Amino acid sequence: MEKYEKLEKVGEGTYGKVYKAKDKETGQLVALKKTRLEMDEEGVPPTALREVSLLQMLSHSLYVVRLLCVEHVENKHGKPLLYLVFEYLETDLKKFIDSHRKGPNPRPLDTTLIRSFLYQLCKGVAHCHGHGVLHRDLKPQNLLVDKEKGILKIADLGLGRAFTVPLKSYTHEIVTLWYRAPEVLLGSTHYSTAVDMWSVGCIFAEMVRRQALFPGDSEFQQLLHIFRDMHNPGNKVYLWGGEWIAGKPTEKMWPGVGSLRDWHVYPQWEPQNLQRAVPSLGPDGLDLLSKMLKYDPAERISAKEALDHPFFDSLDKSQF
Amino acid sequence: MAELESPGVMPKLIAFLSSLLERVAESNDLTRRVTTQSQRVSVFHGLSRPTITIQSYLERIFKYANCSPSCFVVAYVYLDRFTHRQPSLPINSFNVHRLLITSVMVSAKFLDDLYYNNAYYAKVGGISTKEMNLLELDFLFGLGFDLNVTPNTFHAYFSYLQKEMTLLQPLSLVVAPPRSVSAFNEDEASHQKQQLAV
Repeated sequence: MEKYEKLEKVGEGTYGKVYKAKDKETGQLVALKKTRLEMDEEGVPPTALREVSLLQMLSHSLYVVRLLCVEHVENKHGKPLLYLVFEYLETDLKKFIDSHRKGPNPRPLDTTLIRSFLYQLCKGVAHCHGHGVLHRDLKPQNLLVDKEKGILKIADLGLGRAFTVPLKSYTHEIVTLWYRAPEVLLGSTHYSTAVDMWSVGCIFAEMVRRQALFPGDSEFQQLLHIFRDMHNPGNKVYLWGGEWIAGKPTEKMWPGVGSLRDWHVYPQWEPQNLQRAVPSLGPDGLDLLSKMLKYDPAERISAKEALDHPFFDSLDKSQF
Repeated sequence: MAELESPGVMPKLIAFLSSLLERVAESNDLTRRVTTQSQRVSVFHGLSRPTITIQSYLERIFKYANCSPSCFVVAYVYLDRFTHRQPSLPINSFNVHRLLITSVMVSAKFLDDLYYNNAYYAKVGGISTKEMNLLELDFLFGLGFDLNVTPNTFHAYFSYLQKEMTLLQPLSLVVAPPRSVSAFNEDEASHQKQQLAV
């Protein structure tokens, strides 16, 4: 690890500190994710183990963060450490959105940029799904951004999972609450790629609104936020994609919803117009968003389909 | 995979995997004795040959690990990859137990959302947690962290195992040149004659 000069600590990852560092020889900036491997009971954290192996497979996409190498070293006390060495990107989408909401010059994100970021995100997600990998934790914090070049890359595959091999049921403790798909919130244990697309929809809306679409603080609140925004009576939202209206999902909208483990009888709210949540979004954008936020996972748009949506027609795709 | 879940399949698979590994280990023991070619001694190499049979050991792991049945097929894929990537570390009677517990543990950690920790696997495997952790690291780096198994690869290995299992007593070992390792080709696995490091 003498190869790198640590410049500053830039964050705490899923399993340890993250440093900005410089390759002493080439001057290349890298992000070092440090994983302590105390001789503890867990061994290599499964998040690290998954991230490394999944990224080895996915890292050749421009829209997935590049893992440069993995180093096993001992610190000065003889304790083993694992370093994951990534390419360095200066910021992430959360900080980027925050800088447009707060700070000296609050302003909406440029529509062309939203389009471009969303397209790159769909590219990256399509790449993951094409390789049989569910990300399961897509959120603005996990999307790295190069402001100058207008590049967005998917990072933090620690909760990722290969969905290709038959397995015992999946945990529903995935995905930060705000971006968690309703089927996961309702206790479905065999979910698929659609869970990532729900997150993509929430991120899309967040770029437009500069604030989270469904900011629940418990699983139950999260469902209420989705079925109807409780806390903002003046801003009653949301969803039900197809008709631009929201409300509690019915068996007609989502066959089988009533038999999911955590389904309860929820009050019936008046469906609201999705447009009220994202008033600045044009009809193409609304159409795409509503398709990403379909209740029935089987009906939700896939990443690959999304790439061909008219919302991206005005984008110069030759650059991707 | 429905077939893996059906009753009676796993015990048969365990028994078959054990006999396969036993033959591989014995064959490599022999090779080791008759050739001057050096086989690297690794962290997986026990000082003495463990007295527990491979089958009892694997049955023990199956009983206590409580992982998805697929993990055993995937562990087998890992062992094949490992021997392929580390030709100087063939499976033999001195290392087969440690390789087994490590490969099952790594596949459970990679695949399952609920799994036991290294300390638990160490108890199941009859080694210390410290050793389990070291084995894990060596195994991961030995594999180059190549842990993902595509559906094609999975099905190729599984159908190979199934086919061999129905023959019950596979007749002969393909006696290959010393330390040859023929591994699955990821692309055309299903059409190849497959044998884990004989």
